[in-house]
Amino acid sequence: MLTINNIDKYYADDQALSNVSLNIPAGTCYGLVGPNGAGKSTLIKIIASVIKDFDGEVHFSHNKLRIGYVPQEIALEETVSARDNLNFFGKLYGLLGTALKRRTDEVLSEVGLTERGKDKVQTFSGGMKRRLNIGCAIMHKPNLIIMDEPTVGIDPQSRRYIFQMIEQFKQGGRTIIYASHYMEEIEQLCNEAAFMDQGKIVKNGSIDRLLQKHAVPSVYVKGENCLPEGIGQCGSVMNMSGGHLITTNDPLEAMENILTFCRKSNLEPDRLELVKPRLEDVFFSLTGSQLRD
Amino acid sequence: MNAITKLEMKKNLQDRGLIFWTLILPIVFTVLFIAVFTSGTGETESRQVVLSIVPGYTIMFVFFIMISMTESFIKDGNTGMVARVASTPSQPYLFLLGKWLPYMYIVMMQIVILLLFGKVVYDIPLEQPVYLLILSVFLTFMVTGLGLALAVAVKTNNMGIALTQVIALGGAVLGGLWMPVDMMPDILQTISALLPQYWAHQAFQDAMAGTIGYADLLQTSLILLGFGLAGFILALLCYPNFLKRAKG
Repeated sequence: MLTINNIDKYYADDQALSNVSLNIPAGTCYGLVGPNGAGKSTLIKIIASVIKDFDGEVHFSHNKLRIGYVPQEIALEETVSARDNLNFFGKLYGLLGTALKRRTDEVLSEVGLTERGKDKVQTFSGGMKRRLNIGCAIMHKPNLIIMDEPTVGIDPQSRRYIFQMIEQFKQGGRTIIYASHYMEEIEQLCNEAAFMDQGKIVKNGSIDRLLQKHAVPSVYVKGENCLPEGIGQCGSVMNMSGGHLITTNDPLEAMENILTFCRKSNLEPDRLELVKPRLEDVFFSLTGSQLRD
Repeated sequence: MNAITKLEMKKNLQDRGLIFWTLILPIVFTVLFIAVFTSGTGETESRQVVLSIVPGYTIMFVFFIMISMTESFIKDGNTGMVARVASTPSQPYLFLLGKWLPYMYIVMMQIVILLLFGKVVYDIPLEQPVYLLILSVFLTFMVTGLGLALAVAVKTNNMGIALTQVIALGGAVLGGLWMPVDMMPDILQTISALLPQYWAHQAFQDAMAGTIGYADLLQTSLILLGFGLAGFILALLCYPNFLKRAKG
């Protein structure tokens, strides 16, 4: 679907992107993960043809490519209605007459704003504006949807609604590029991801593979005297929330050791659980830095 | 381009601030200053005051459209609208034209309404209406051309407001919109002749009185067109930088 080769981008003397290369297959939901200032938005604007002065190459393999770009900002005209905004972007994408009206109705329904279509956008909640922000980008039924932090500053209900919309896009076979610094969103929505930091791709690949390869699972145990003496041999142990977190390559063995020890000592742990590795841990292990913001 | 023009027009028609700047304030100023300057004067003098103030304040207040133009462009840049439009198949220069066109309509309407107000309330003569219409078109082109240049060149609303005040009020004082040019010192009279406000004011007064000839009409029209084109060229030169700033 999309191949990006050796992209460099400078803002005056500051290098925003350095030798960025990616391959995004058709039909995937591809996450761009990284802290603020990592270069995600710049890369997204390059892919969406907003920024045209850069070094490198962006190649689309799709014959009838239609890109829908959802910017990080709520780029809407707030003094007019939701319907006016959709009509405006529909016209810019070449829709006219009854086709435009029909599509406007469809999109209003897709973003859950049918009842509020005639209301001015300035009367909407943050979540409704975010949904309409997405709606404006899908007026022309794009096959590549590029979303830059589409859930910033919204309530959980709206976030869930947007996730459902994205799931529908995925089911419809659309390719999605989803940039966020919320790791859990990427983990939940995307099949593949690229970690970005300081303008570079640190690592990319399928989420499962990244987790498998770079995140070390842990076991968390809480309870008085429930930690066997030799557990340190299984992995590193650190105190956390009144218990112990054992980071180990063989979490099942660590759990078995703890259970055997507890049975023998006639103890019952308050909590004993396998801690699933998270993308944030992968990012941490790859960059040696926590996510800023 | 049509979509951009329509949206911009719709947005502006709902903007109460714009109605205040373009109609309410000029009408209040016109009524107030005519009342002040005609009190205790004879009928002939009063007529002269009215004949100067109505077109003079109309010309002065059309410049305030530059504030709305600047605000609109800066807002579109800050909200990401410019970047978003750039991701569509729409051409960047059509965005510029699409946003400019509604201000042509608005300023034209403003001039017509203010002159009709003068006609209804003060019975000003409109002896050469076609010439007045031609002058209005060129005045509109001039002011929106300069407005477009200002809108894409400045980086903040405050900068736009400050420069508009300088151009509108400075030009009004020096261009003879507030007091007759022949009452000014020689040096200011020379400066006055370099300003579009002066030429527009003279031509509007003459066309209202029915005394403007083809040559004077052509001369003033070309002067206004020249200033407008200069604004347009400046806007086109500054536009790539505006786009760069707006796209981030």
